Amino acid sequence: MRMRNALAATLSVLAITAGLGMTSAAAEELKVWTLSFDNDSANVAWKKIIEEFQAANPDITISLENRSVDEHKAALRVAAQSSQGPDIYFMWAGLGLGGEFVNAGLSQPLDKYYDQYGWDKRLVGTAGGFSKIYEGGRHGVPYTFHGEGIYYNKALFEKAGITQPPASYDELKADAAKLKEAGIPAMTFGGTVNWHLMRLMDVILEAKCGADKHDALMAMKVDWSTEACASASFQELNDWSQNYILSPFMGIDNSQSFNLFLAGRAAMMLEGDWLVSQLRNENRLADFDLFPVPTGTDRLYGFAEYLYVSSKSDKADAAAKFLDYMLSDKVQQDNLGAFGSISINSNVKYDKIDPLDQKWMDIFAQYDKIYMNGDQAFPLDVTTEYFRVINEVASGNIKPEDAGKAMQSFIANRT
Amino acid sequence: MSKTRPSLRPSLQGYVLLGPALIVYLLFAVYPMIDVIRMSFSSWNGLSPQAKFVGIANYRAILTQDPVFWGALWNTLIWTSAAVIIPNLIAFGVALALNQNIPGRSGLRIVFYLPVIIASIAVATIWKWMYDPFFGLFNGLLTSWGLTGLIMDWLGDKTVALWSVFVAHVWQSVGFSMVLFLAGLQSVSTTLIEAARIDGAGRWGVFRYVTLPALVPTITVVFVLSLINSLKAFDIVYGMTGGGPAQSTQMLAMWAYTQSMQLGVFGRGAAVSVVLLLITLIVVIPYMRWMFKREDMGR
Repeated sequence: MRMRNALAATLSVLAITAGLGMTSAAAEELKVWTLSFDNDSANVAWKKIIEEFQAANPDITISLENRSVDEHKAALRVAAQSSQGPDIYFMWAGLGLGGEFVNAGLSQPLDKYYDQYGWDKRLVGTAGGFSKIYEGGRHGVPYTFHGEGIYYNKALFEKAGITQPPASYDELKADAAKLKEAGIPAMTFGGTVNWHLMRLMDVILEAKCGADKHDALMAMKVDWSTEACASASFQELNDWSQNYILSPFMGIDNSQSFNLFLAGRAAMMLEGDWLVSQLRNENRLADFDLFPVPTGTDRLYGFAEYLYVSSKSDKADAAAKFLDYMLSDKVQQDNLGAFGSISINSNVKYDKIDPLDQKWMDIFAQYDKIYMNGDQAFPLDVTTEYFRVINEVASGNIKPEDAGKAMQSFIANRT
Repeated sequence: MSKTRPSLRPSLQGYVLLGPALIVYLLFAVYPMIDVIRMSFSSWNGLSPQAKFVGIANYRAILTQDPVFWGALWNTLIWTSAAVIIPNLIAFGVALALNQNIPGRSGLRIVFYLPVIIASIAVATIWKWMYDPFFGLFNGLLTSWGLTGLIMDWLGDKTVALWSVFVAHVWQSVGFSMVLFLAGLQSVSTTLIEAARIDGAGRWGVFRYVTLPALVPTITVVFVLSLINSLKAFDIVYGMTGGGPAQSTQMLAMWAYTQSMQLGVFGRGAAVSVVLLLITLIVVIPYMRWMFKREDMGR
């Protein structure tokens, strides 16, 4: 009798195990590679979203792999040569970072899924727009979307007699001069991370060249050495660095720059919407306000982070299903603030938000076009040269009129 | 009468013992080296399935078009020249001092050796903070001493950035050379020193005619190790400036890494590596020949 019971129990266990095995074998496994986010709420949200998705879709399991930025890029390069890579991967939007992988054929177009799921109806237009910049179809879906503007110290503006934010680039320069007269450095940057100072050059180019010429310069379709607005922009950068940036700045990074901004050592900082949460953490929201960079064009300075479906993946349908879930109203509403202050879903409701968050909401509502950061617009090698030339101009080592020649010389030698 | 199995011939035994190490060496040192040379004649972005043969185009590009290469080469040569002289002279002086019978000698040896065991990236972080232009130690001291005219952007001014990093390197590397010199000093025959003294040699005479000649092998080893380590300088520069400002502290080893792993231009990165390899070989081959000659003379 005991033998028979034991046999029955064993058979039951085997049957259950076999059943589980069958379920597991039948389930499609999606590999998702993304970053290890400094903001832990993003990591927590990812895990929660995956658990909920798997519960709702038992035929799909998600395996999530997180890496630091450089490891992530290196892992994607290695995976590009094998079939062991991800089905979905994180990368910035734009021709520089995301574009490198797209142009190498490592992302598959998602046009049919945009139609099938109607993503355009729920995406913030400026965030979804990056999917259209690549040749051969729409690539990736937005994961986050960020705007960048100028934060200012209200007390320091008042001390310098500035009563309202500037409405044009010339007014911005005039305010910088007023601040200087009052003994206040106008703006702070950290030069060791090249992309921080690059932001100033980006917005100057937008102001001095206008949208079309700026885009043509970033696309390397016009000559940097002969384009008058490029030379004028480098001249402006030099002027800012000699007169209006808190010095020294080449030996500090962006976080040191932020600390100086918090300490009231400079009046303005060119930063993204994420700075609101940093100010909130410091309990200093009330001391600061912000405005979009007054470039005179109808475009907002910003960038997006995307999730792409690998061209090596044979599970595109399942991948699109997961992306659809990520973009859904419910997931975006439930995880509002986990990935960024602004959702990429236009149906998300914002209740009880801080004034600075509201300011960003108003800014996002005001613009439907963007221009992106130089390091995401240029190919990687040109970005490196762009950084070098900007730093040389800001340090006074290259004359502004020679900077365009240096850029063009590098671009011409690429082919 | 018991039979004994014939043992392996000594030469064969040597090869058997050498085998595993040789396989590892061939796989992880020789093969990558050959592959880098092959890669230097190719164009590959790390993403496309095939690398394309481009002949000497990568060498032409780095030598004639790359705005950073020559600066990186110059920095590497300057750094190497300084690194084989300055830290080793300091280390030699410290070793001479710590070879005397002075109180607290063991503790002082530990103090001087301590930076060697700290990871370079940690050394970089420590020194970065000390160099901070607003809140750092050096500018703080200069301010408190009333020397505000000497305040500098230590890592942000291209005229001093490389030397600022070099000071951190000196701090980190003196201990290593010091230990080698100490070992060399302790192996100098006391009999010879006493004999020299009996013959009337003063302190300088003993040092010049007994200690220094006995230290020649140690000095050579320290010199060559410093030379090789300096040529491949990477981590401390990467940690402190990342090659900036405006690539002014860029080094060949770091530029090779940047080209390959950050910019995805593997062919050019490999070409930079091969140039560095050639420079290193020019230095190392005479050393190897000298070493083998000494060994032969010692037999």
